[in-house]
Amino acid sequence: MSESVEIVEKKPIPSEATMLIGLPDVGLVGLIATSYLITELNLEEIAYMDSDLLPPVVVLHKGLPHALLRIYGNQNLIAVISELAVPVPAIYPIMREIVDWGQAKKVKRIVSMGGTPVEGRQTITEPQVFGAASNQESLDMLSKKGLKILNEGYIVGPQALSMRYSVSKKTAAIALLAQSFYNYPDPEAAAMVLKEFSRIFEIKVDVSKLREKGEEIRLKARDIMKRTQQEMNRMKKSQEYDLPLYV
Amino acid sequence: MSEKQRNHSIFDTINEYMEEFEKLADELMESTFYEGPSWNTETCCIHALSNVFVTPREVIVTADLPNIEPETVKVEAVDENTIEITAKMKKKVQFVDLGINHRQGEFSFLRCQGRVHVVFDVEKMKISWKGGILEVRFPRKKRYQLKVE
Repeated sequence: MSESVEIVEKKPIPSEATMLIGLPDVGLVGLIATSYLITELNLEEIAYMDSDLLPPVVVLHKGLPHALLRIYGNQNLIAVISELAVPVPAIYPIMREIVDWGQAKKVKRIVSMGGTPVEGRQTITEPQVFGAASNQESLDMLSKKGLKILNEGYIVGPQALSMRYSVSKKTAAIALLAQSFYNYPDPEAAAMVLKEFSRIFEIKVDVSKLREKGEEIRLKARDIMKRTQQEMNRMKKSQEYDLPLYV
Repeated sequence: MSEKQRNHSIFDTINEYMEEFEKLADELMESTFYEGPSWNTETCCIHALSNVFVTPREVIVTADLPNIEPETVKVEAVDENTIEITAKMKKKVQFVDLGINHRQGEFSFLRCQGRVHVVFDVEKMKISWKGGILEVRFPRKKRYQLKVE
């Protein structure tokens, strides 16, 4: 059985770009933020992922079939999104392929936007955003920009693997994580993380429309959130609540 | 001992257990092998996402209820283990509003059910509404404290 993972390029891929990853995860924060950014910056589809490890599904948009895991871009940005909760067995080869492909395309850095689950999220009006990075230089850059660093804790899932593989490939990787609901779609957290991304990397993005569409997004995102939760349970995502021990 | 209890044979007890077991098995089969849609056009309901947390003192049910009128929220105990939450939407939503043109139907309510496997007091529930999330707290019944000697 073939278990290949292949990124099929449809258009020329820019080099020296920042690569964003927004896969379904806690509160769908990364997916909401990245897909909003794609629409706002009018990024075009430049590649997609083909793999036997993904379920036999296509998504129709305007009557035409699209791969579930797609890559959009312009001269400065490459954005990876998935309209499917990536099945746990497929996460390793898929993340390895994304990082390898990014390195082959000489990306400047890989940025994952996402959520970090907090209890009582509904009582937080403005979710805080924390940063983590694969190397000291990137971490210092985030600190200088005034971002709070996630000092101790676990990251589980696609972001963990993008960090892990980026370290071995010596590619700079950054995670921007907003306090969010665990298994409710969280457009407000997505807006906060996008605001920080915009500030740190000086890419102008107006998040007001995202906030306005918050209720509509929450209504539409229930199904993908439900399926993402099933995968999060399988990958023991709740370990992100655990306290690490390093004496 | 009451008349009812006297007539309650071991076979009745087994039957009750069997019925409960079959009910749980049905639920499990349903959740494992068939996943219905997250909406029901007959009842005009969209299923809301919800969570149930059981703490030593309370049962906490939360539900994500976008686009609803908070004053229409209804919380009911369907049976001793099931809580049902319904709320009327601010405006009706049709499939076409969600970008779907190959189905027809409109929705006026959000609805969810939560299964709770401990005994709780429905009469003393407390409801709060923050950031679009409904939170219902029920005190647990029958808490036993063991004496430490």
